[in-house]
Amino acid sequence: MAARDDQPRPLAPAPATGDLLTQVARGDEAAFVKLYDELAPRVYGLCRRIVRDPAQAEEVAQEALVEVWRTAGRYDPAKGSASAWVLTIAHRRAVDRVRAEQASTDRERRVATEEVPYDDVVEQATARLERQQVRRCLQGLTDLQREAITLAYYRGYSYREVADLLGAGLPTVKTRMRDGLIRLRDCLGVSFA
Amino acid sequence: MSDDIHTLAGPYALDAVDDLERARFDRHLATCDSCAQEVAELRETATRLADATEVTPPARLKEAVLAEVARTPQARRARAARGGEARWRRWTAAAVAAGIVAIGAAAATYVVEDQRVRDAQAQAAQVTSILDAPDAVVRTGDLAGGRVTVVLSASLNKGVAVVQGLPDPGTGKAYQLWLIKDRQPQNAGVLGAGASGGARVFSDVQGADQFGVSHEKAGGAGTPTTPLVGSVNL
Ligand SMILES: [Zn+2]
Repeated sequence: MAARDDQPRPLAPAPATGDLLTQVARGDEAAFVKLYDELAPRVYGLCRRIVRDPAQAEEVAQEALVEVWRTAGRYDPAKGSASAWVLTIAHRRAVDRVRAEQASTDRERRVATEEVPYDDVVEQATARLERQQVRRCLQGLTDLQREAITLAYYRGYSYREVADLLGAGLPTVKTRMRDGLIRLRDCLGVSFA
Repeated sequence: MSDDIHTLAGPYALDAVDDLERARFDRHLATCDSCAQEVAELRETATRLADATEVTPPARLKEAVLAEVARTPQARRARAARGGEARWRRWTAAAVAAGIVAIGAAAATYVVEDQRVRDAQAQAAQVTSILDAPDAVVRTGDLAGGRVTVVLSASLNKGVAVVQGLPDPGTGKAYQLWLIKDRQPQNAGVLGAGASGGARVFSDVQGADQFGVSHEKAGGAGTPTTPLVGSVNL
């Protein structure tokens, strides 16, 4: 039982989550419960961030999580991590919802409701470390890269809308989203080994 | 026009395209390996933006989801899952912090009860300040079948350790945490009697090169009983 870890090391969750998803694909409800416990806080948090309205966010999170159950067999580990797969489903659904709502004028009103409350102070503390790292890396982007990415990802705007909002050309916005994400990827140390 | 479709990789990874563009880019992905690889990485990156939004969902969400799952048949697989296992790595310290998040409410309880701190908010604020320190360093490791995460800030000269999943220490016994500086152990807190995990905040962390856990009588000891249950290099 001597010293074993002398480096920051990758956590188990990535592979473990993939295994869970594989079990879920075989109809294993117990595995789904574990998957829920691991990913629901991020799925729900992301839905709240994008959709804003708590009741609607809950609905969207539920739809997304049931979709994960239904389509788990389509997850291909060669194409990415299980959490990215699940969060992509949630993100798309949340974006679809907010765009469907877009015509209605109360989107702006909801946007005014800022940060969501946390139930647990220590959870808040730890989530903050993650947020801080993300924030630090976002600060490393140019203003245009950062605004383009956050408007699209956290608020569900399309790149055309982003171009309008920022008064920039379409090719520029497309390019800034891509090179901004690449810079973010390098800063956060996301890699495909 | 079609030759600049690669530039949609960014908007696509952010779901910032319309349905037509999405379908068009999906078709492109099937034939362009470099875009497929890039989109996979950009999606992972975007997922990290989602990590930062984590919120505990209401309990009724779980009930509702599980009830719906119980009556929802699964779609057939589109194809047999491919063999190769993707290895996704997250080397950043922030990702390691997710290890603490995973411990969740249990750790919060320990912080509050075991430290006998009356004001839970003050305690949490202390943990927060350490986690938020710009120079916070996170180390994590497996230890005696459990897991330990240590966050140290040299500028605050403080640290916080979260230990979980150790074997039951037995009645009247407890685990004690130690900072080790050049082979000299320094008490970093004693977990509750019979507790197999917990969190401790400690100070005077400068120069520490190892973090260790020992098995002691409840209440702890002045020097650790050796051999240690386990240790992690800092
Ligand atoms: Zn391409």
